[in-house]
Amino acid sequence: MGEFFNIFFDFQIMGDNLGGAFTAFWWTIKLSLISGALSLVWGLILAVLRQLPGRPLAPIRWLTIAYIDAFRGIPLLLVIMLTAGGLGTLTAEGVIPRGLGIPQWFGLPDPFWYGVIAITITYGAYMAEVYRAGIEAVPRGQMEAARSLGMSHGQAMRFVIVPQAVRKVIPPLLNDFIALMKDTALVSVLGLVEMVQFGTDVYSETFNPSVYILGAAFYLVVTIPLARLVDWMIKRQEQKFQRGIP
Amino acid sequence: MSEPILKVGDLRKSYGKLDVLCGIDLAIQKGEVVCVIGPSGSGKSTMLRCLNLLEMPDGGRIELEGREVFGEGKSKDLDALRRELGMVFQQFNLFPHMSAKENVTIAQRKVRGRDAATATERAVSLLTEVGLADKVDEYPDRLSGGQQQRVAIARALAMDPQIMLFDEVTSALDPELVKGVLDVLRGLADSGMTMICVTHEMNFARDVADRVIFMDGGVIVEEGTPDQVLGNPQRDRTQRFLGLVLDH
Repeated sequence: MGEFFNIFFDFQIMGDNLGGAFTAFWWTIKLSLISGALSLVWGLILAVLRQLPGRPLAPIRWLTIAYIDAFRGIPLLLVIMLTAGGLGTLTAEGVIPRGLGIPQWFGLPDPFWYGVIAITITYGAYMAEVYRAGIEAVPRGQMEAARSLGMSHGQAMRFVIVPQAVRKVIPPLLNDFIALMKDTALVSVLGLVEMVQFGTDVYSETFNPSVYILGAAFYLVVTIPLARLVDWMIKRQEQKFQRGIP
Repeated sequence: MSEPILKVGDLRKSYGKLDVLCGIDLAIQKGEVVCVIGPSGSGKSTMLRCLNLLEMPDGGRIELEGREVFGEGKSKDLDALRRELGMVFQQFNLFPHMSAKENVTIAQRKVRGRDAATATERAVSLLTEVGLADKVDEYPDRLSGGQQQRVAIARALAMDPQIMLFDEVTSALDPELVKGVLDVLRGLADSGMTMICVTHEMNFARDVADRVIFMDGGVIVEEGTPDQVLGNPQRDRTQRFLGLVLDH
């Protein structure tokens, strides 16, 4: 039992690599926050496109639905490989300029940006579905009242429907954000030394998995409070609902 | 009689095989108060919702001040029509994320293009008129049904419509709150507003209406002054309906 414990909880190795772990987790945080923010925006755009009214705009609705279906059904790992490989090859063949194909915006390396692009593409689709649930949960009378006051569909969405929808779906969006944060580990496949890749680097030097445990602890320090926050928000919404407040 | 402000010809609407409106002809004079009564499912709410094209009619014409706004199955000038028609709903449909004042200002600013100060001034003055001077900053969830409905009336009036449409606006209210809302409607009628009210309040119709319309089965069965239609109905269906609603 002692042997078992020592393999997974080698505090000597953890301590030696604590600084490196912080640096690596900082990449995880940056990746999560930037991809998360972009996914929130992209998801909302997709959700609104999906709700466009009228027959002439039907092709846009279909394209949006096709996009959402596609990227909800493809592994994120594949999208990451496709983004990096695709943009890399397009640059090598001279189809797109280097600044676009091998992005190093704001001094951050290209594997980081490939990760951001791939995560946003995928999680935008997930979040679009969450927003859609929120939009559809706003009573029909709200759109009717807005339109009867002379607002256009766009104005009604912007000032009346979306603000109410977003409030309803903050907890599930946060849940998606927790999942997104864990999925940033997949960007390790491009060689970005975020938390998981750092653990692998240390493991291959020491043949000891303790830094993986250290990495898990880093994740939990962020994800458990977030999960509690989601629970608290849901509970508060239910209480409001029980008091009959819309 | 002068040129009617709103003229409806052969208005038709069906949902699949169910014909809800089977050719409605109607002319509303400026300043006229028209109450529409009839059993549920008679098409009266649908007619009202077709007038400002919340439901798209399948056929017929709608003319506003002699200008065709709907004809040949499509709307000609939807925005102009909705600008001139204010609508109040049975379920209030206030925007729950906005205070009473914001509910009344938002469309003034975004649709009428008024600046914040002008819109707010108008909102406060209208909310005062409907007896809610001390509630301007309250959110809908803190208001009673009757108060919410009065905010909804102020919200529609703020757009300076020529005609107000009321769709069973007291039907979702507790009995003790009905009077406050009907008083606002009475005041509005006295001020010369053109109004079309779908209602189950027969006393209100008798007191306030210039004309009462009885609808059943998607057609106008009978119309006339309140005394004629409510006091001395000519048609069987009207008599039967009034017998059921006036007896209790």
